[in-house]
Amino acid sequence: MVIKIFFPSCCSEAESGLLIGRWIPEQNAAVILAIFHYPFIPGQVKQCLEQIRALTNVEVSVLGSWNGYDSRAKEDLSQFLEDLSSIFPHDLWFQLTQGKERKSVFDYHVVQKGNKNNKKNVILIYYDQRKVMLSKLHPLDITIPEDDDHAGVMSEVFASDFATVFDTVAKCESFFVIDKYDETVIKFTHWQSEGREASVVVELVKQASVPVCVIFSFLLSFISSVCKSRVLNMWPLCFLWSKLSTCVQLAHRLDHLQTITTTTKAQNHMEFMRKANLFVSFLIDVALGLLLISWLYQKNRIGQLADALVPVADHVAKELQELLEWLMGAPAGLKMNKALDEVLGRFFLYHIHLWISYIHLTSPFIEMILWYVGLAACLGLTVALSVVSDIIALLTFHIYCFYVYGARLYCLKIYGLSSLWRLFRGKKWNVLRQRVDSCSYDLDQLFIGTLLFTILLFLLPTTALYYLVFTLLRLVVVVVQGLIHLLVDFISSLPLYALGLRLCRPYRLAAGVKFKVFQTVADKPLHLLMQINPLTYGMIIRYYRLPTYSCYPKDSWTTLCQKLFLGELVYPWKHKTEKQD
Amino acid sequence: MRAALEQGGAAVSGCRASENRPRPRRWKKVLYERQPFPDNFVDGSFLEELRKNIYVRQYRFWTVVCESSVVIHQLSSVCVFVVLWWYMDQSHLSPHRLFTYSLLLSLFGYLTFDVIDSGAGRNLSGRTRWADLKSTVVFVTFTYGFAPILKTLTESISTDTIYAMSVFMLLGHLIFFDYGANAAIVSSTLSLNMAIFASVCLASRLPSSLHAFVTVTLAIEVFALWPMFQKKLKAITPRCYLVVTLIFTLAAMLGVLTVSLTGAVLFALLLLAVALLCPHYLIKLQSSKDNIHGPWDEAEIKEDLSRFLG
Repeated sequence: MVIKIFFPSCCSEAESGLLIGRWIPEQNAAVILAIFHYPFIPGQVKQCLEQIRALTNVEVSVLGSWNGYDSRAKEDLSQFLEDLSSIFPHDLWFQLTQGKERKSVFDYHVVQKGNKNNKKNVILIYYDQRKVMLSKLHPLDITIPEDDDHAGVMSEVFASDFATVFDTVAKCESFFVIDKYDETVIKFTHWQSEGREASVVVELVKQASVPVCVIFSFLLSFISSVCKSRVLNMWPLCFLWSKLSTCVQLAHRLDHLQTITTTTKAQNHMEFMRKANLFVSFLIDVALGLLLISWLYQKNRIGQLADALVPVADHVAKELQELLEWLMGAPAGLKMNKALDEVLGRFFLYHIHLWISYIHLTSPFIEMILWYVGLAACLGLTVALSVVSDIIALLTFHIYCFYVYGARLYCLKIYGLSSLWRLFRGKKWNVLRQRVDSCSYDLDQLFIGTLLFTILLFLLPTTALYYLVFTLLRLVVVVVQGLIHLLVDFISSLPLYALGLRLCRPYRLAAGVKFKVFQTVADKPLHLLMQINPLTYGMIIRYYRLPTYSCYPKDSWTTLCQKLFLGELVYPWKHKTEKQD
Repeated sequence: MRAALEQGGAAVSGCRASENRPRPRRWKKVLYERQPFPDNFVDGSFLEELRKNIYVRQYRFWTVVCESSVVIHQLSSVCVFVVLWWYMDQSHLSPHRLFTYSLLLSLFGYLTFDVIDSGAGRNLSGRTRWADLKSTVVFVTFTYGFAPILKTLTESISTDTIYAMSVFMLLGHLIFFDYGANAAIVSSTLSLNMAIFASVCLASRLPSSLHAFVTVTLAIEVFALWPMFQKKLKAITPRCYLVVTLIFTLAAMLGVLTVSLTGAVLFALLLLAVALLCPHYLIKLQSSKDNIHGPWDEAEIKEDLSRFLG
C-alpha cells in the first residue's frame, strides 16, 4: 500500500509541531494544510479544529507530528510522540523528520493503530499551497457542461484523485485568512501566516462595486422594460426589429450587461468565469468601438463616406441595367423567347429606375444619418459591424426584391409543369395516399392542360435564366452579410478573460498536474514536486466559449441545392432562438 | 421421369410380388394418404391432362383485313392533318376557308352522331347538348386567346428541331392510340396529348395567329372528335364504316400525292402492308402456335362480378 502525503512547500521551513490536514481514505492520500506549533494545550487544539471544521466544512484532523531541523532534544521525543498519538486518535499517525544535511529531504515513520510493525511505502509530494488554492482543476474526460446547474454536480461525479486534493485546499481559503497578526491561542504555519497581502485599490473597487451594480441593474431593467413594452412590439415594428441585425445585437448586449450587473454573487466557477468573460469582452468591444469613432470622425471622414455612397449605389444600378440589357438580347447564345424576355426585362428595369430615384431623393440626408448612426459605434465594435451589415442589406434591397420575383415565378412554373406533366401522361397526384395514381380526365381538361403544358415548357428557359442570374446575385450578398455576422459572433464569443488568465496566471486554470522527481536518496522516501499543468488555449476556448446567438447554415448542401432547383426561397443563415454554449 | 416410371413400375411389381397386401395398390394423385410410392412418383397417367392450343382462334383473312381498317384510319388521319398544315404553310389554303369547312363538317358530324343510334348513346351517357355547347365555347375561347402566344412560342428554336419533335409526337400518338385492343400500352390520354403537342409545335411555324388558331382547332377535330364518330359508326353500321374508311384513305393518298410523289408511294406501300401483308402473316403464324394448358394454369375469373358489387 502506497501512501501519498501532500506537503506544502511553505511549511518546510517551519518549526516542529503537529501536522493538521485531511486524510482521504479511498485514495490513501494525506493532504497537510497547516502545522500547529508547540507548545499547545490538546483541549484547545481540539476546539480549534472544531472551529476550522465549522468554518470550512472540511474534515480536518491531526494527522501526525513534524520535526523541524532545529529540534533540540531527540531522545525523549519518541515517548512524547507516542503520547501524542494516543491523545489525537487517528488510524495512521505520521511522523515526519526533516533531514539535517538537506532540509528538503524528510524521513518518515508511519504508525498504524494496532499494527505497529507494518512498513508502508510513502511518497512525499510537495505542492505550492497558494497556487493550488487558487487553481481550478478542469475535468477533461467529460463533455462541456450544458448548463450551469449541473456543472457542480458533474465535477463531483467525475472527480479525479487530484480534484479532491484541489478541492480540499480551495475550501480552506477562509482558514488561510487568519495570519500571525490575529489573536489566536495557538501558533500555526501556512502559506499566508506571515501576513496577508492586499491592495487598497482592489479593496476600494470591491466596496464600490456593490452600489454601482445596484444602480446599473436598476437602469438596465428600466431600459429592458421599455423595450419590451407593447408600443414597440406591434406587428410591423417587431418584424422590423427582428430583421435588423443592429437591434438584435443591441438586445444581446443588453442581456449580457444584465448578467454582469446582477447583485447576487456567482455560485460556482463557471458562472464567475462567464461574468468575467462578458465584462472583459464588453470593455474591449467598447474600447475598439471608441477607437473606430475617433478614427472615423477625424478629418470629416464621415462626409467623405456619405459622398462616396450615392455614386456607389448609382454604379451598382447601372451594372444591373447593363446585365438586364444583356439578358434581353441573346445571352451566351441561349434561345430565349423574345416576348417574355422583353416583358420581364422591362419590368425589372422599371424597378431599378424607381430605386435610383429613391436613392437620389434621400441623398441630402445621408450625411446626417450616417453621422448619427456612426455614434452608435460607441456601444461596441460589434454594434458597428451590425450597422454595416444593415446598411449593405438596405442598399441591396432591390436585388432581394428581384430574387423574390424571379424565384416565385420560377417556382410557380416548376409546380405547374410537374402537375401538367402528370396530366400529360394521364396520371394525377393522390393527396390522400401521397402517390401518383391514374386518372381519367375529360376532353376539355386534357385539351387545356396540354396547351398550357406546351406553353410553360417552351417558356421555361427564359424564366430559368432570369432566376439563375438573380439567385447568384442574392447569394453573393448573403455570403457577404454572413461573413460579417460570423465576425461579430467570433468577437462576442471569445473568452478574453480566460485567455488573459492563461497568459498571465497559467496556474489558475489547470488541466492536470505533472510531477518532477525532486530528490532520490537511497532509503528515503520518494520526493516529488507537483506542478500544475495549465489548460491549452484550444481547450480554454472550447470550454469557456460565451453563449452567442450564432448564425450557422440552416440546411445541408443537398437540401440547399434542392431548394434552389425547385425555386423555393432560400434564407441560408439561421439565428438560433435560444442560447447555446 | 423415366427413372420415376421405372421405379414406379418396380414398386408396383414389387407390390404384386409381396403377398403382404391383398391386392396391388393403385397410385392416387393425393398426398394426404400414406402410399407405398415416393412423394414425387407419377404413374403412366402423367401429363394426360395436358391440352394444346385449345384457345386458338381461327382467323379468316378478310375479317382480319376489315378489322385492320382501324389502324389504316388513324394513319390516314395523321396524313390528312399534316397535308392540310402543309397547304397552309405554303399558302395554298387560306385559314378562313379551312376553318369554315372544318366547322361545317364538325357540325354535320355532330348531328349525324345522334341520328345514327337515334339518341340511345346520348341518353346512356347523360351528356346534354348544353354541356356540349359549353365545351365548344371553352375550346374556342382558349385557343383564340392563346393563339398569339402559340405563334411566338418557338421562334428561336430551329425548324428541324420542331419537325423532329412533331414527328416523334405523332408517332407516339399512333403507338398509344386505343385501337380497341386490351393491352397495357394503350393510353388514350397520352395519345391525344401527344397529338395536341405536335399540333402546337407545327402551329407555331405558321405566319399568323389565325393560322395557329385554325391548326389547333383542326387538330382537335381530327384527333379527338373524328375517332369518336368512327367508333360509333363501326359499332352501329360496319359496312358504312368500311365505305367511309375507303373514301377517307383515298382522300389522304391524293393529298399526299399533291405534296410529293415519293411520299405517296411510300404511304401506299405502308397501307398495303398494314392492310394485306400483316393479316396474311398473322394467319400464317397461327400454325406454329404451341400453347399448352393444363390444371396448373392460373384461375381466371370469367364472370362479370359487377352484379355482386353494389
